[in-house]
Amino acid sequence: MLFIQFFKSSIGKKWIMACSGGFLLLFLCSHAAGNATLFNSLPLFQAYSDQLHSHPLIIAILSKVLFMVFVIHIVTGVVLFLQNRKARGTGYKVQKRAVKYSQASRTMIYSGLFILLYILVHTCAVSFGDHGTIGLTISYLFSSPLVILFYIISFIVLAIHLNHGFWSMLQTFGVNHPEYNTLIRNLTYIVPVFFLLIFSAISLLFIF
Amino acid sequence: MPTTNITLSLEIWRQKDSKAKGDFETYKLSNISTDMSFLEMLDVLNEQLTREGSDPVAFDHDCREGICGMCAAVINGIAHGPEPETTLCQLHMRHFDDGDTLVIEPFRSRAFPIHKDLVIDRSSLDRIIQAGGYTSVNTGGTPDGNSTPIPSATAELAMDAASCIGCGACVASCPNSAAMLFTGAKISQLSLLPQGQPERKERAMAMVTAMDKEGFGNCTNERECEAVCPQGISIRHIARMNREFVKASFFA
Repeated sequence: MLFIQFFKSSIGKKWIMACSGGFLLLFLCSHAAGNATLFNSLPLFQAYSDQLHSHPLIIAILSKVLFMVFVIHIVTGVVLFLQNRKARGTGYKVQKRAVKYSQASRTMIYSGLFILLYILVHTCAVSFGDHGTIGLTISYLFSSPLVILFYIISFIVLAIHLNHGFWSMLQTFGVNHPEYNTLIRNLTYIVPVFFLLIFSAISLLFIF
Repeated sequence: MPTTNITLSLEIWRQKDSKAKGDFETYKLSNISTDMSFLEMLDVLNEQLTREGSDPVAFDHDCREGICGMCAAVINGIAHGPEPETTLCQLHMRHFDDGDTLVIEPFRSRAFPIHKDLVIDRSSLDRIIQAGGYTSVNTGGTPDGNSTPIPSATAELAMDAASCIGCGACVASCPNSAAMLFTGAKISQLSLLPQGQPERKERAMAMVTAMDKEGFGNCTNERECEAVCPQGISIRHIARMNREFVKASFFA
């Protein structure tokens, strides 16, 4: 009851977005770390994949949890978007923002839905394929410049989403203090750019 | 700054009553002194309208010195107009140029129904306060001054939150019409001080619940509220409310 009441409240929904977003950020870290084996060699990446899939229980649990967190993050985000649109009633004739750089926060729903499209493409192309030959799958996939372009565009969108998402998560957790705000502001650029660079570099590995 | 006279074109939202369907009306105003405040400019318009025999524009105002939180309108898309940390009554016409067109709209939110023209009903904010914006005070003799020690930094922080005048600009500017800055400031103000401790958790629960019931939107951390707040209240108070609400929900 307590939980239902909490999660139905406006601040509860903020916490759902922040917690699920935080979990997805951790997943992104582990995914980046695993993929980084590609910087060494394709066989090492294949070995990493084989090792990972030799633990079926871990894979089964983690993939289901990950799927659920994704669904929670997306559904809550869409619910928030629809509820918030209704809260205004009649809109303003002149629509203007007082905050200077609000492109990322303004477009969270759209960047989020684009990332969803990317995830659907990516999981269909890679994750649901045969993991025994995943090295071959990706080297074939990344031989196409169009695929690389789509991936890099998606990583840029992801970076924009993270630019607001990372800061927003900390604000929701209540982490806002003049002593740390400069560090947090820098991290809102460092974190997205880090993922943008590492993932883009991996998708570009195969044409060089 | 030398005083000059400017000519303005005003597009103002006119709505007969809460049920009527409103629309924008355009008015020309000439010879407006740049020393006038925004509300004085509207007074001039209303005198002109009265002389013409038409209905003057209804707008809220009280102290006209920036401390009461009564005046409220969105000027060219920005609540309280383009000057930061300024209420509408303290906005002066010197910030506008000759020939400018000003679009004047009421604060818009489902929780702020329009009474007439620019006058809105902000009693939803009062109901949030009624839900928990109070402290218990023992009856008896007046306590000695400074008998409750409060660190200076804490007192300052509480005072920053307490400077909220409840104008509703945070709601008006929020893309989601959320009242988080208002509620955050009110919860923070009391939760920071020793006098607010007995009801601390009840208060966080009750005020957030009351806020949700009024039909305000959800906060998505857009920071617009902080940018237009005439008192410059920081979203740090929203962050504090987030913590307070979780503590109250799970550790009450």
